[in-house]
Amino acid sequence: MAKIEIKDLSKDYTTPNGVLHAVKHANLTVNDGEVVVIIGPSGSGKSTLLRCVNALETATDGHILIDGVDITSPDTDIRQIREEVGMVFQSFNLFPHLTVLDNITLAPMKVKKMGKAEAEALAKDLLKRVGLSDKADVHPTQLSGGQQQRVAIARSLAMKPKAMLFDEPTSALDPEMIKEVLDVMTDLAKEGMTMLLVTHEMGFAKAAADKVIFMDNGEILEEGTPDKMFSHPENPRTIDFLNHIL
Amino acid sequence: MNDNNTIEEKIRKEKLKETTVSIDPHAAKPGPATIQMTDGVLIPKKGEKHIFTSWRLTFFGALALSAILLIFFPDPYRQIFTTCLRGLPVTFEVTIFSIIGAVIIGTFTGLGSVSKKRWLNMICGIYVELIRGIPLLVQLIFIYYAVGRFFHVEGLIAAIFSLSICFGAYMGEIVRAGIQAIPKGQMEAAIALGLSRSQAFRYIILPQTIKVILPAIGNEFISMLKDSSLVSVLSLEDILRCGRMYISRTFLSLETMLVVALIYLIITLVLSRLVGILEERLHKNG
Repeated sequence: MAKIEIKDLSKDYTTPNGVLHAVKHANLTVNDGEVVVIIGPSGSGKSTLLRCVNALETATDGHILIDGVDITSPDTDIRQIREEVGMVFQSFNLFPHLTVLDNITLAPMKVKKMGKAEAEALAKDLLKRVGLSDKADVHPTQLSGGQQQRVAIARSLAMKPKAMLFDEPTSALDPEMIKEVLDVMTDLAKEGMTMLLVTHEMGFAKAAADKVIFMDNGEILEEGTPDKMFSHPENPRTIDFLNHIL
Repeated sequence: MNDNNTIEEKIRKEKLKETTVSIDPHAAKPGPATIQMTDGVLIPKKGEKHIFTSWRLTFFGALALSAILLIFFPDPYRQIFTTCLRGLPVTFEVTIFSIIGAVIIGTFTGLGSVSKKRWLNMICGIYVELIRGIPLLVQLIFIYYAVGRFFHVEGLIAAIFSLSICFGAYMGEIVRAGIQAIPKGQMEAAIALGLSRSQAFRYIILPQTIKVILPAIGNEFISMLKDSSLVSVLSLEDILRCGRMYISRTFLSLETMLVVALIYLIITLVLSRLVGILEERLHKNG
């Protein structure tokens, strides 16, 4: 498993109205096997921070170390890192022209050069794990949102990542489908997967997280155990935010 | 006196009527006029049930006219038809090979215009601007002579080559639009899984793009078929040139051009119908 260290990370966007500081000097460590949840109001830079970790966004300043390897350094093979860090998106982003099985086997076969039979066995195994064994041959559009997101998680797991990033995995789902996705994520957490996630599911944060981070306006304002963060938050803006959503 | 009073009364009432807003529920609503707009009926939907769509009227009208000409005026129309149809293989040959060439050029141009390399964008942009800014006929003749001077190839190949280059630019724009129509998340998901950008294009983006642009390619094919008549200036014996050669022998200019027009019209209408069916199929399959 892996350790993610974010050191003094900043991300600026140049917009027509000037420079937008999406993330300002963020420092964060996710230890091996830890589950860290980032919460905060929308537009606070949570997703940007997360997307920097597998270089979907290029950091303007600062460093991100995964198992001691600096991914912001130009000498690092970023594809190698992406193989080891899985990512689950808010909008699932399954490949609509491929069956569920092909969605899962594509990356192992093309990136890891795994044989077809081996990849399919792996995919079926993963589908069983997320409770969708019977859906291997359908196309993603025929699945419900919750099922699609579980396939997306299986697709990420097929690369046998050392760590997983979740970008609001349940925000696009109907309420009755959220639980099936959270259950899969809880199982993953229990198995010791290193997880960094952005979510609005405070129930999940309380139950599964080792550490909760509160971000606002691109800054990490407070961090602590879920118990501390939800029972005795200190920063006034954390208190304000939690009052609004709980 | 009395008369005057009644007239004044009348005027007063009229004025009152003018200024009072009608609350009659049956009165016509004064809301903004709506303009009824429909999709073009040129490419009919397969499921359309009306008998008299404009497509059907045109198509069967053209067929009927051809039949009448052939049956009632066999001389000279039978001869004109057989002469003009002799050009059909060349027209199709030029069209099919040129569209293949255009798709190949267009794919590279489209990929080049969405590439992250600035100089590639620039080259593709210049190519597209250049082709779009010059009339097709001028390009055709120019490329034909240019190719002829340096490579000494057969007229047919030169024609296919020039049409491919001309249509490749338009095809490039279609491919670019098709690629950009694929949600950004598809590329992100692919590279987040560790695929390289070129792998992501090959396995994720392009297969989805093809589905999006297939109807547009069909329409380009129809345009190509019509514009292939321009190659008749390159002394290729397509439908139009066969017709013109016939005119120069017999001076039956109006009759011959009527037949040439009918042949193009019938082929184009059949093809546009096929493209319509294809489009509908693709819609149905999501």
